[in-house]
Order: sequence, then C-alpha cells, then structure tokens
Amino acid sequence: MFLKMVKNDFVRQKIVTISVFVFIAMAVLLGASAINNIANLIQSMSDLQERAVPADITQMHSGEFDQAEIDKFTEEQRENIAMQETMDLLTLDGSNIHFGNNQTMAGTVQDISFVVQNKKFDFIMDLDNKKLDVTKGEVAVPIYFMQQYDLKIGDTITVKSGEYENEFVISDYARDYEMNSSLTSSKRFVINQADYNEMLLKQAGELEYLIEFKLHENGDSQGLQTAYIEGGLPANGPTVGGKIFLMFNAMSDAAVAMVIILISVLLIIIASLCIRLTLLATIDEDLREIGVMKAIGISKKDIKKVYLNKYRVMSVVAGIIGYLLSFAVVNLFNGNMRLYISSDLSGNLKYVLSLIAPLLVYFMIVMYCKKVLKRIDKISAVVALRKDSMERGKNQKYSFPLLKNKFFSTNIYMGLRDVWKRFKLYRLLFFIFIVCTFIVILPINIYNTMNSPEFSTYMGIGKSDMRIDLRRTDSITEDFKKLQEELKNDLDIEKYASYITSSYQVKNAEDSWDYMNIETGDFSIFPLNYLEGRAPEGEGEISLSFANASKDGLNKNVGDEVAVNVGGEEKNLKVTGIYQDITNGGKTAKAHTSLGVNDEAVLWYIVYMDVAQGVDIREKMDYYQNAYDSAQVNDIKEYTRQTLGNIIDQMSTVVIGAFAIAVIIAVLITALFLRMLLSKDMSQIAIMRSMGLTSKNIKHQYMAGTMMVLILGIIVGVLASNYLGELLVSMAMSTMGAAKIEFVHVVWQTWLLCPLVLIVVVGFTIFVSCKVAVKDDLSVVLRS
Amino acid sequence: MSNILEAISMNKKVELGKDNELHILKDVNLDIEEGEFVSVMGPSGSGKSTLLYNVSGMDRITSGSVKFKDCEIGTLKEEELAKIRLNHMGFIFQDINLLKNLSLIDNIMFPALVSKDADKNAVYQKAKKLMEMTGIEKLADNTITQGSGGQLQRVAICRALINDPDIIFGDEPTGALDSKSSADIMSILAEINNEGTTIMLVTHDAKVAAKTERILFMVDGNLVAQKKMSKYDNQHDDIKKREESIMKWLVENGF
Repeated sequence: MFLKMVKNDFVRQKIVTISVFVFIAMAVLLGASAINNIANLIQSMSDLQERAVPADITQMHSGEFDQAEIDKFTEEQRENIAMQETMDLLTLDGSNIHFGNNQTMAGTVQDISFVVQNKKFDFIMDLDNKKLDVTKGEVAVPIYFMQQYDLKIGDTITVKSGEYENEFVISDYARDYEMNSSLTSSKRFVINQADYNEMLLKQAGELEYLIEFKLHENGDSQGLQTAYIEGGLPANGPTVGGKIFLMFNAMSDAAVAMVIILISVLLIIIASLCIRLTLLATIDEDLREIGVMKAIGISKKDIKKVYLNKYRVMSVVAGIIGYLLSFAVVNLFNGNMRLYISSDLSGNLKYVLSLIAPLLVYFMIVMYCKKVLKRIDKISAVVALRKDSMERGKNQKYSFPLLKNKFFSTNIYMGLRDVWKRFKLYRLLFFIFIVCTFIVILPINIYNTMNSPEFSTYMGIGKSDMRIDLRRTDSITEDFKKLQEELKNDLDIEKYASYITSSYQVKNAEDSWDYMNIETGDFSIFPLNYLEGRAPEGEGEISLSFANASKDGLNKNVGDEVAVNVGGEEKNLKVTGIYQDITNGGKTAKAHTSLGVNDEAVLWYIVYMDVAQGVDIREKMDYYQNAYDSAQVNDIKEYTRQTLGNIIDQMSTVVIGAFAIAVIIAVLITALFLRMLLSKDMSQIAIMRSMGLTSKNIKHQYMAGTMMVLILGIIVGVLASNYLGELLVSMAMSTMGAAKIEFVHVVWQTWLLCPLVLIVVVGFTIFVSCKVAVKDDLSVVLRS
Repeated sequence: MSNILEAISMNKKVELGKDNELHILKDVNLDIEEGEFVSVMGPSGSGKSTLLYNVSGMDRITSGSVKFKDCEIGTLKEEELAKIRLNHMGFIFQDINLLKNLSLIDNIMFPALVSKDADKNAVYQKAKKLMEMTGIEKLADNTITQGSGGQLQRVAICRALINDPDIIFGDEPTGALDSKSSADIMSILAEINNEGTTIMLVTHDAKVAAKTERILFMVDGNLVAQKKMSKYDNQHDDIKKREESIMKWLVENGF
C-alpha cells in the first residue's frame, strides 16, 4: 500500500523527484568518494611509512664531517635512538643534467642530489612500494621530475660536471617519502654504488650529508635535537622533523578530500531545501486530502508516514547507488595519491568507512523531513477542508504599490516585487545562486593569486623582476662577491639587493638553543608586506615569519626580544615585524645587515633585482645564468610556479570542475524551482490570463523576478568568495605559514566573465523553463 | 441594434479519459445585442458556465462559430484573444479571483497599467471613481485578506470595468454572497448596463435573473428556451412580480 503511494507520488512529480534523487545520490557519491579517499590516504600512507621507514630527525650538513663523532653520539643516546644512518649526497645543479633533445634541468628550483639507497631506513621506493635496487648504468628519477619533464622509463639522462660525464638509463621512478612533495626543496636521484663512487672520484657535484636518526617508539625527539646541537655536532643545514614529511605528503590529497566533502555538504543542503520546497508544495496541494484523512480518523503519525516513506525509499536507493558509484568515481580524485603514495589502493578500510556517507545522508534527510512534516500537526481537519478561511483577516502592511513604479514596465515591476513579497520562497534560489557563484569564483581567485607575482608576499620575499640563488657549491662566496661587483656596474639593472642566509643558534620557548636560518640584508629595497610591524631597519632588530612567531615556534610578538648566538656572544634582538612565508617549512627570520654574517654557516646567497625599463628580462636572465654556472636564475613568477608545483595544476582542474558543477546545479535547481513556482501559481496565472495578459506578459514577470534573484545572488556570491573566501583560505594556509592571504582579483574574470557566463546559461534556463501557456481551457484552472 | 456576440452551431466536447467524452454544449445558437442584459439559467451541469467561457473566448469551442463584434474568435491566436479580453471584455467570477499580492486598488488598476501607454494618473483617478461608485473607496489600500466577500466582489466589478469593456461576463457573481450583498451587486450591474455596457451572466437565482432583460434556459447542453422581458426599472418595476413570472416560466420549461 505505502509503496503504491510512493509510486503514485513519483508519477505525479516526476521531474522534482528525479532531481532530488540525483542530488541525494550525488551527495552520497561525493561524500563516500571523499571518505574513500581519506581511508585510502590513511592506509597507503601508513603502508608507505612502514616500508620506507622515514627518519624521525634529519640533519642536513655540508662541509667537514666525521662519522665517528656521530657514532659516539648515537651510543650515548641509545635510549632514544633506534638506528642511525648517514646518507651521502652528491648535489648537482640542474644545468648538469641533460635529457631529451639538448634539454637540461637548469630551470628547476629544486636541489638535485644523487644518492645510493640506504641500508637501514629512509628507503626510497619504486612505484610498487618496493625498495629500489638500481644496477650500474641506471637511475631512478624522482616522480616530481618525471612529471615536470615527462621522463619515461628507458629514456636516458646524462650527467655532465667538470670531467665527469655519464649516461644513465631511467629504470624506475623514485617514490621518496621524505622528498616527494614539491614543497620539499630537494629531490633525490637513486643510482648504483659503483656509479656513485665514480662520480665522487671525479668530483661531480658537491658532497653533502643527511645525518638521519630513527628513534625508539617513545624516543624524545626534542631532547635529542637539543643534545645534538649542544654536542657541537655537524649541523650547518636545516633540521627537519619526521612530521613535516607526513604533512607535505598528505596535504594535497587531504585538501582535495576536504573540497569534495564541502561540495557534498552543499549538495545535502541543496537536496534538503528542494525537499522542503517539494514537501511544502505537496502539503499545500494535498491540504484537502490531509483534512479528509484526519476527518476519517487516520492518525497524524500515519499521515506523515505517507509523505516520509517516499523520501525514505529515495534516500535508501540513492544512497546505495551513490555508495556503489563512489568506487568508480574515486579514481578521478586519487591520481596524485596513486602516483606519489601507493599504486595499489586495495585496502578494505574504505568499504566500511565509506558507508558513513550514505548512512549519514539517510538520517539527515529523514530527520529533516520529519521536521518539515511537523507542519501537518498544525492542520486541523476543519481548517484544511475550508482552506479559504485560513487566509482571511491577516494584517499585512502593503508595500510596493504599482503607482510607485517609475522605471519598469508593469509586468517587470510585478516580477520584481513578487521576489520581495515572497522572499521566503525565492530564498532557496537566492542561496543556490550565491553558492554556485562562490564555487566558481573562489577557485579562480585562488588560482589567480597563486599564479601572480604578488604571491611572493607569502613566500617571504618582496616583489622583484628576478632572483639569483647561489647555493651549495664551494665557490658561492666568491661568486657572490663577483656578482655584486658586476651588478653594481650593470646599467641594465635598476636596483638590486643581496641577502645572505646563515644558520644561527636561537633560544627557543623552552630556553634551550635551536638552529634557525636568518636572512640578513637591506629589506627596504624590495619591501615585503608585513602582517604586523615592519622590516628590521637597524641594529638589534629582527623580524620573524608567521610560523616562527606562532606558539609552535618561538612564541613571540612584535616588541618581544629573541636571543641569538652571534659569534659565541648572546645578543638580544627586538622583533620588529611578522611576515608570511610558506617556504622552508614556514620557519624563517630576517635581520638587519648589522647582525653580521656567520661565515662558517652560510647556507645560501640570494640576489633580487629589477631590470631597467626597456630591458628584456629573459635576455638578462640568460646572461647571468651563463655567467654563473652554478647559480639558479629565475623570474619570481617561475619561482613561485615551481615551488607550488602541481598545486597550481590541480587548482586549474578544480577551476574547470567547479565551474561545471556550479553550472549544472544552477541550471537544475532553476528549472526545478520555476516548475514548482509556476505550478504553485497556476491559479494566479489563470486569473491574469482571464484579465487579458498574454503568456508573454506573464513570462516576463517570472523572468524579471528570477533574473533579479540571479543577479543579486551573483553579486553576493562574488563578494562572499572575495572576502569570506579570503578568510577561509587564510585559515587553511596558516598551517603552512601564511595567515593573511589577500586574493589577487582579476576583475574582468570575477566581475565580468564568470557572472556573464552564469547569467547567460541560467538566463537561458529561465527562458526555457518559464512555460506559462496553459494548454487546457482557462476555465479548468479558474474553476478548480 | 447590432449583435455584439453571435454563436452558430457551437459545440463543446471534453475528453475525460480513454473512450470517455463529454458533450457539454450541443449545437448552441445564440445572439446578444449591444447593451443587452442577459442571464443564463439552468440546472447544475446543464452547461451554463461552459457556454459563458466559450462565447468569451476563455475556452476554445470544439466546432461551430463564435463571433465577437463580427470577429471570429475561434480562430484567433492566443495573443489576439488576450488583447480582446484586455480591451473589450470584463469578467466577474463567483470565486472573486483577485491577485493575492496586490492591494484592492492595485488589483483594479492592474489590467489598465499593463498597456504600455497607460497614463498612470488617469488610471488612478478612474479606479478611485469606480471605487466610489461601488462604495468601497475607503478600502483602496487594503489587501485582499482585509475585505468581505461582497466588498471583494465589488473590487472585481471595478477591475472588470477599468478598461471600459464592451461586455461583462459574470459567472454566478452573487453565488457566494449574502442576500444584501447580492442585491447591492445586482444594482451596480444594472446601473452599469444602463450606461450602455452589455452584460451576460450565469445564475441559479431567479432574484438575480429578475433584474436582467432576457433569460436563456439551458438543459443538458441545449439552449431550450428564452424569456424576453423589459429592462428592469428600479423605480417602477415590482421585482417580486418579475421573479414570480420567471419561476413560473422555469417550471413550465421543466426546471
């Protein structure tokens, strides 16, 4: 009996039912896919971690090194350290690596190191998550470079450095737990021990060390780091904790899952609003029947059941379909994970966890229906049967009289005032248009911001035309001096500024000493936007990155003091400002030149410059690249692009996907809404037609109303994505070190192109959906 | 006087389902002169209202011909028909049928304001005058939930008159009103007719028919009889006598 009623109701409201069904199924589909993705991520991350056995503490170092000291330290710290291994790296410049048709990797911002597979832990894996075992003459290339330069297995790369020249055949891709992410600035190429020895012998590349520690389960990581530094062991490079690798690896997939969950939640809200609209319209239509049912003694509970069962059946069927389809759809989202984390995502956890989505959606829909159906309780049998009596005597204030209309035709004005008069009805559409615009504009804003030179603000650098990085060669100090001389005399260079980053000991929040990289130089030449305060301008001043100043870092505010060990002497520097920086794990600092250079621990030199007007930046870049072999010369945009790596590419996919989803939702809901609105207004439309209004006149009324809602929705949507979006993105990015993102607005895209496309597409839907011509005789509606 | 409305062999059939067709109007012939006040009577289901909706072009006839002022309305397009309804016809319904979101005066003015070249001030003055004429001038800014059935029906009459129609169609305009309101409405309609507007209305009530000058009697979709009377004169005619004569005539015709 109830199934029959559900079936009849379905036939009565085919389109509405199908649309609501699709929304519920889509919500479950996306929700289940996102949960599936997260389950896969958890399982494959732990699998990769188990196989790769990443280090808990990695200390980078270049220069003098004695393994015996490390071994001694390891013995002393046996209660913390389970294993220790030092990986030797031969670091080369991108220009030393040749591939394809005379191409090199010179443009990369990544540090390239050639290594041999470790023996105890921190293993580099192949795409099957097996330990890489590379034979002589072969190389395993990091996945990052495989994507960046489209390298295939069987291709060759040639390493040329000084006297050394050797051709390697790519035998595998290297899945590197510690250095997979584009946010980690080094990448490891795995070669055979014999090849490595030859490279070392012929002095190809700079020798560096990764001094790695694997701790016991309860090992004290912080204590060990302090002991290491206090022991005066080799440590002129950054120290990296194991957690940061986990975060970098999971970040892009977790972010994608979050976005999908967000869309899924939006779809549930949209489905609920549609159900509300449908249920209320149905109750309105069936008022008399409800009255009859009550009059003949059917209980409220049973009457509600009639309406509720339809949605119960729908949620169950849509839930099952969404759940099953999610296993196919999830493959669209997990490409990145399959490449970087695990090619085999066959774990069982996802089947159980994904069930959360359909169950949650089912309970939410049923609860919501019950809430809406409470309205039935308020209907008494008599009132329902004498429907008209309900409407009498209400005291309403009359607004928007027809004579007040000065600008529009009467029909257009009728449509516009209808929105005001029945805003409760139109608010669903208004909300949908806001959400759709938000979905379209927010990714565009993020994409444009990431793609803009202004993004350098969030990388702790001011805006300039180009930068030259001098890193990791013995000759950098000489090169740096030479470069400065040359720049001074180069008339094509309008201005330049040099910065030296070296490692200093800094007193942390627990009053022990940590190493911190401090960049010194004149920060007034290429000013950076500060979150708070200003750049260090004089002696005894320092500014900290947001992550460094936060509670997890040094826990300092502007005006506080930081104790820095400079040449064995403790100096207190005053914090003048806090800036945003997502590079180097977010923890950086800047101090005035007067701090002096810690010559023994210089990590890198960077020179920023603006070229004079009319000078070709590209030519200038090529010139300096040729003149300084080991330098990395980049324009700022390219630097940003490479650091953000595939996040920008993923974002461009999101822009297109979001646009498609938004347009589909907007078109579907508009068509659905107008259909329900026109059916609700059938009698009013018939009255207008009896007076002599044409279908066209009436169509204009509805078009004017819905178009106004669309335009207002778009305006609010754009504003929301500009301001609220900024806030949301800032919140998300604050974990990475940028707490106040300001979007770069490409006005013609956000205020013109996207709104115009939405207006045209939805406008066309409105035009097509506004079918007011009644095929039946008018009297049928008027007399019913 | 010339005919304002003329129907020849008018048929109306309605499909109720598979193999179930209802023949509501059967070869009806009818003519109404300009300025006439005609009522249509008959038992329930005889086709009175259907006749009204079909001669007014609100519904489409199945076969035959309907001419409004020599214009064959059966063949007109929807837009042309709407134009005729807007400018030459007025309608009054039993269910009143006002627009929900408009005040009473806006309901009256709306059909006039729809025209592109409407003079808003003139329309407003006219609406005020009509409201005065029907005694509801104080209710101008009320909403439709703030009026009695009789008051709302007067609003509907004003709305029907706002574009100076040639003919007013009424489908039981007093059907839902008490006797006092019903009498008032009929007086207003009589006055309008005296000023030259043709009126055709459907009614069950002999009291209402007594104020018209010709009564058409329908049974089972056929126009079976008609009774011609003099125009009702409020001063000199005895309404009771007219009513008794109508009742007698109806009984003679099998009502």
